[in-house]
Amino acid sequence: MKITPQLLGIFTNIYGSYEAMTISRALMIALVGFMTVLVILAIIALFIKLIAFIFSAIEKKNEKKIETIITPVEHSNATAPSVGVTLPETESQGELELIGVDEPTAAMLMALVSYKTEIPLNRLAFRSIKLVEDE
Amino acid sequence: MDVLLENFSTVTFPQVAMWIIGAVLIFLAIKKEMEPSLLLPMGFGAILINLPNSGAQHIIDVMFRVGIDNEFGELMPLILFIGIGAMIDFTPLLTNPKLMLFGAAAQFGIFFTLCLASLLGFDIKDAASIGIIGAADGPTAIAVAMELGSKYIGAIMVAAYSYMALVPLVQPPIIKLCTTKKERLIRMDNTAGKAPSKLTKILFPIVVTIIVGLVAPDAVALIGFLMFGNLIRECGVLNSLSETAQKVLANLITIFLGITIAARMRAEEFLTVDTLIIIGLGLFAFIFDTFAGVMLAKFMNLFSKKKINPMIGAAGISAFPMSARVVHKLGLEEDNQNFLLMHSIGVNVSGQIASVIAGGLILTFFR
Repeated sequence: MKITPQLLGIFTNIYGSYEAMTISRALMIALVGFMTVLVILAIIALFIKLIAFIFSAIEKKNEKKIETIITPVEHSNATAPSVGVTLPETESQGELELIGVDEPTAAMLMALVSYKTEIPLNRLAFRSIKLVEDE
Repeated sequence: MDVLLENFSTVTFPQVAMWIIGAVLIFLAIKKEMEPSLLLPMGFGAILINLPNSGAQHIIDVMFRVGIDNEFGELMPLILFIGIGAMIDFTPLLTNPKLMLFGAAAQFGIFFTLCLASLLGFDIKDAASIGIIGAADGPTAIAVAMELGSKYIGAIMVAAYSYMALVPLVQPPIIKLCTTKKERLIRMDNTAGKAPSKLTKILFPIVVTIIVGLVAPDAVALIGFLMFGNLIRECGVLNSLSETAQKVLANLITIFLGITIAARMRAEEFLTVDTLIIIGLGLFAFIFDTFAGVMLAKFMNLFSKKKINPMIGAAGISAFPMSARVVHKLGLEEDNQNFLLMHSIGVNVSGQIASVIAGGLILTFFR
């Protein structure tokens, strides 16, 4: 497939020889050149959309996988929300055991885990947070 | 003593006029801070090259041949593109790809000016070189004008860089003329969309190069170097190269280009009616770029549920980031809570790509 030479052939027909141009030919040049840039950029924009679509589809698939992995933990744990109750993404419920850690530090750690794993807090279950001293 | 005084008698009026032009460029660079990195070397170069029997003439000619006009092509402008590519963050554009269309629309001035220049009697290759002033992109203008063998390279460069510097003065009145107050008050959603993944950012320069290369082969050098610079930036494993390209490389080439362009600013070549016409046509190109960008946004608003502030269309010219800032500032002037920067930056970087593609297309058409 020699697309490019064919395209160039079309352009050459439109542009013809490089002699002085008439107004109609000049306008044709403006139109064809402008439309070509527009089409190329539209193709690039479509490509970006396509990539974004593919990645979001892959991400959704991964999320589902993670969901199925963590669901048993959620149901078996006291900190998991009750079945049928949907909490806001930034909230959680249940009890958490803190050993040598104050509440603000624990909150910060839970937020960090949520951010890094990209799992909303209402889907995470923390049993305990324990301070481990360096020896 | 006669030898020392001989030079004074050989000073011509056109040479003095070029000194004044050089001084004006230096003034604009220092006092008004208009594209100082280019206008200052160009201004000084204009003085340097127009001194009678200047010993610098030969060396500047050599620099011009080595860096710009050599058998290998336009070496320096292309290398500068690596630095520019490394500087550009395409994230706003990748987040909202629709903005690409505004970058394309804002290249309208190039093609329209090309026609006008041709109708005014310029040779078609010179007309194409003059039209590319509307790309608002210095390296593209140099590369295209040199590749097409235009004899107006000096005037084209002065016009291109001057208007890029004058974007804050040229664009606002046009934008206001083309839009109503109600349109300028349109607020756009500023919640950041889903950030593109690292892989998308890496794939983007590669795929753009391939797409453009297939449609406009002559644009490959321009777009390829730009995208190569961007790939260095985004790959994440070449940070030191990316920093070097952004700072050291870009600065070195800018110094070299600025002073070298002076080789085409000799009084006898520069001080012509054609130069004045070219500068006028350059303004025309910028005006129509702005007009077309704004009009596309207005047109899209006819069909779009989420209204677009038409002012962002004006940021589609390649003058980065001035044009985006101008639009953002205009938005704030109308409504101090209307923040358009994120959108206008996205449009502005798409203008960078679009201008390079337009330059390449012109080469494909007219070489």
